[in-house]
Amino acid sequence: MTTRRQFNKLAAMGTLGLAAPTILSSKAFAADKPIKIGASVSLTGPLASTRAGEIGYQLWRDDVNAAGGLLGRKVEFVIYDDQSSASNVPAIYSKLVDVDKVDVLISPYGANLSAPLMPFIKQRNLFMVGMFALAGNDRARSNKYFHACPWGPDSMLGWARGFFDIAKSINAKRIAIINSDLEFSSSAAQGGAQVAKEYGMEVVMNQSYPPNTSDFSAILRNINNVAPDAVFVCSYPADSAAIIRGVKEIGINDSVQIFGGSMIGPQYGSLLGSLGEDLNGLVNITTFVPEPTLQSPGIESFFKRYTPIAIEQKLDPLGFYIPPFYYVAGQIIEAGVKGSESVDIEKMAQYLHANPIDTIVGKVAFNDIGDWTKRRTLMIQIQNVKGNDINQFREPGKQVILDPAELKSGNLITPYNAARKAS
Amino acid sequence: MKRNNLIFALGAILILLAGFFAPSIVTNPFYFFAGYVIVQYIVIATGWNVLGGYAGYINFGAAAFFGSGVYLSAFLFNAFGLPLWVGIIGAAALGAILGLAMGYLTLQIQGVYFAIATLGLVIVLETIVHNLPGLGGARGMAVYGPAPPEWSGGPVQYVFFVILIIAVACVALARWIEHSWIGRGLRAVRASEDAAECSGVPTLKLKLMACSISGAMLAAAGAPYPFYTNFVEPVTAFSLLIGLNAIAMPLIGGTRSWAGPIIGAIILASAQQIATVTISSELNILFVGVVLIAFVALAPNGLLGLAKRKSAGTAQ
Repeated sequence: MTTRRQFNKLAAMGTLGLAAPTILSSKAFAADKPIKIGASVSLTGPLASTRAGEIGYQLWRDDVNAAGGLLGRKVEFVIYDDQSSASNVPAIYSKLVDVDKVDVLISPYGANLSAPLMPFIKQRNLFMVGMFALAGNDRARSNKYFHACPWGPDSMLGWARGFFDIAKSINAKRIAIINSDLEFSSSAAQGGAQVAKEYGMEVVMNQSYPPNTSDFSAILRNINNVAPDAVFVCSYPADSAAIIRGVKEIGINDSVQIFGGSMIGPQYGSLLGSLGEDLNGLVNITTFVPEPTLQSPGIESFFKRYTPIAIEQKLDPLGFYIPPFYYVAGQIIEAGVKGSESVDIEKMAQYLHANPIDTIVGKVAFNDIGDWTKRRTLMIQIQNVKGNDINQFREPGKQVILDPAELKSGNLITPYNAARKAS
Repeated sequence: MKRNNLIFALGAILILLAGFFAPSIVTNPFYFFAGYVIVQYIVIATGWNVLGGYAGYINFGAAAFFGSGVYLSAFLFNAFGLPLWVGIIGAAALGAILGLAMGYLTLQIQGVYFAIATLGLVIVLETIVHNLPGLGGARGMAVYGPAPPEWSGGPVQYVFFVILIIAVACVALARWIEHSWIGRGLRAVRASEDAAECSGVPTLKLKLMACSISGAMLAAAGAPYPFYTNFVEPVTAFSLLIGLNAIAMPLIGGTRSWAGPIIGAIILASAQQIATVTISSELNILFVGVVLIAFVALAPNGLLGLAKRKSAGTAQ
């Protein structure tokens, strides 16, 4: 038989038991929960080379957690493989938001994988850090999107502007533009043609080529025939390598002062190593190089820790182009949380719009659509490379910065033929 | 048969009603995102099976039809603001025309050569899209669809319900074909085209019909996709993985019945959705390959074939 006291005890314990999940999940206990950051990374598929960026996330997470976390809470990443396919992205990000209940999002790599997300984050009013998408937020115009990469405002034109600024400074008038028939090579070429027009230059050749082109002899002979002052090349890794090798075999007209501009590939360790001294003289776009004007204790520490992990995992051993900016993505979130003293995305966004933040790649301020207020894409010239030892690219003086002016670390060697021979 | 028809019709209505009311019961949008992919594959598998399963003509080019549906619907919306239902009808018509053109290939070539030719269709269409700036070229095209109707519960819930309607319509059509004179004729083509021709079966007419219907279903499957991802680009729209899955799903479920592709699609697409967010997606792709090889080797007639064999054995 149950006495009244036993009954009351049982009822109290039962009530407590039923209420426990609610109490434990209430705000009072939320401070103990980790801050969750959701992202997809292309671990497989055609963009799998970008997975080196994930090391950037891991290093930032370890740094933050070692320093006691954010607002006393540990930071945790929830990462899925998008297989480099846009069709996987909507379901993955819905899972991150609706099932994993992450606090903030980081976009997948590049414009093609980020684009499916933009209406989603706008409709759901979510906070997201963008990764390497050119003009990623130009259409959605979310006020809670912050770009981790340095394209700056008006990125379609900004991507090409550094090259044309240099061309203008040496009084180049006749421009040849060649581009692969693929996504952003075409955009970069269009941007280049517009900037050339703006600067009063004459585009004497504007030719696109199929993405699987491996023999550039006809195109290079055409360039030699028109004898331009500058050649703006918008290519992807395989064609970048083929063009550089083609120049070595066929030669280039002495009229060409600068050559390169928008070649994807010579930013990666694999291509820097395989092309080696054939890259001398190339003026090209990149995001980070180990020049004294870009050094800071933060970036030095980053690469000190990145390199052994990348070598062990057989990823890009140099990692200049992408990985530091994955670390920066974490720093943007960190600045938002610490600055606003909350994980409330409205407050975080307000803080980031109002305050410049310090990152391992320098001070960053955001405009109303989360682009960097100032373009900081680098235009470098590859100089003094000897042989194919990849480690020489860790030293300054091999990829000297020509633009932007405030980060300049060396002088342009011109004409291109002289720069190719100089060592 | 009439009783079965009634049960099928009731089932179809129940499924549509469940899809219509699902947003008020299932509040988590993730299930609609994942569900969309699974239902989309039901349409693709059913469409592929009309030609591949019923007539025995292996089509590796499912992605060509799917991609053309994706691009037509995206283009009609972006260029003219035409609503999704126009895109679906337009995509189905384009798929039927492409299917008819592909059907004429069957006059010249059969077997593995036909399969290779269909693969070529994917490459041709993808290359065309790559080189058409009006379709966004290689860089793709953003598709910011209109606000969904209020009753739908949200954008993803809306496209889920749309693909569900397409799936029910396609499955009903596939079932009708299977039980009609067309299905009987196609079975004869699959068994022996020469024998069928000698017996007076209009093989050419049937093959052209199967190609057109299959093409229409595959293209219709692609029509809502731009409103699901809000972005289309040629590599994903014409992905060979779509072609691979289109073959694998009917093979797993069974190619000789309308129900086989549905069973295969639910099993494989669900497993892939789960695997994408739980295990390595390299293993996910490996999983498709292993399952495909296992079924081809051990159960060439799919799960339905296995069940039939087992029930026949029990009856003996």
